[in-house]
Amino acid sequence: MQTGGDVGEDSQRSSYRTRAVTPGNPPQNFSRSRNPARWQLFLAGFRDVLGPMVATVTWGFVTGIAMVKSGLSELMATIMTLTVFAGSAQLTALPLLEASAPLWLIFAAGFVVNIRFIIFGAALYPYVRHLSWQRRLGLGYLSADMVFVLFMNRYGEHPAKNPSDHIWYMLGVAIPSWLSWMIFSLLGVVASGFMPDSWSLEFAAILALLGVVIPLIKTRPMVVCMAVSGVVAWAGQPLPLRLGLLLAVIAGIIAGVMAETMRAGGKGKR
Amino acid sequence: MTERDLYVLGAIILLTVVSFITRAGYFMLGDYLPLSNPVRRALRYAPVAALIGIIVPELLPWEPGKGVVLDAKVFACLAAIYVFYRVRNVVALIVTGMVSLWLLRYLFG
Repeated sequence: MQTGGDVGEDSQRSSYRTRAVTPGNPPQNFSRSRNPARWQLFLAGFRDVLGPMVATVTWGFVTGIAMVKSGLSELMATIMTLTVFAGSAQLTALPLLEASAPLWLIFAAGFVVNIRFIIFGAALYPYVRHLSWQRRLGLGYLSADMVFVLFMNRYGEHPAKNPSDHIWYMLGVAIPSWLSWMIFSLLGVVASGFMPDSWSLEFAAILALLGVVIPLIKTRPMVVCMAVSGVVAWAGQPLPLRLGLLLAVIAGIIAGVMAETMRAGGKGKR
Repeated sequence: MTERDLYVLGAIILLTVVSFITRAGYFMLGDYLPLSNPVRRALRYAPVAALIGIIVPELLPWEPGKGVVLDAKVFACLAAIYVFYRVRNVVALIVTGMVSLWLLRYLFG
């Protein structure tokens, strides 16, 4: 993981040098020339997402099964997979669809479950700001949870010097994630008839998410954030529309920041 | 196309709009909604909080009036986390967790 990043930065640095000694070359020309760094960055993203992809794939498969098991026709389940591309929102909507809930309620429920993406988008925005609006629209649509988690883990503290580095890494995470989600979700739609419930495949998705979150908890404020959001999410379960999840995110952020501030204050006194 | 299909299709279209608004909305309108550095710093805690917020209710579900259900999933998870800390591998974590769950359910019904 780390080695890939270093290689990418090194070749990027040398490309700056080349640009500096050839003033006649406009930057656009240069960025269009064959540059191995962008593929190395794409591959770095791909390598980083391989482990978490087990989570994506399992969620996709489980979501595909759940859609058909909740009574959607295979055609509707396929359309939903290809367009919505948001597992938690899809899984939230299924019981509402089953109960023939009003469309505005399905919209509102999906929105609340997806509110975390607005927070993620705000954090990612500085890295995509330089792109055209069409590209921002496409990249935003592809930016599922793993894109945010892995991207911030790599660039959150130390942004790259070249803004396009961020995009190639982002695509390296996003495109394989999107493809594997689509393939396994559609497989789930097809396979739903053959899967016994007793296998508890949905549990594999939870385990995969654990494998994503554990490596992120490295500092004491992160531990505080985890503990507080865990307690709030546990206590908030009976709330409708998965509002407990939203409360857990807000409480976890506040707790993490407070722990960080207190730790910094303590260091200052010493 | 039946009325039911149209209803489901309407929901699918609305959920697709939700995906675009929530994921790409800030990418499109970010210049009009500037974020300060402290806010940006605070957002680093969002992914951990969200993932924990999804995982915890799945592992420790409860309903008002019925109390907490403590089933094999929690113990399977603990075994999986232990193995993950030893070998640092997501696939080992999933395999351990699933096998533990099946084993516990087989042994204790």
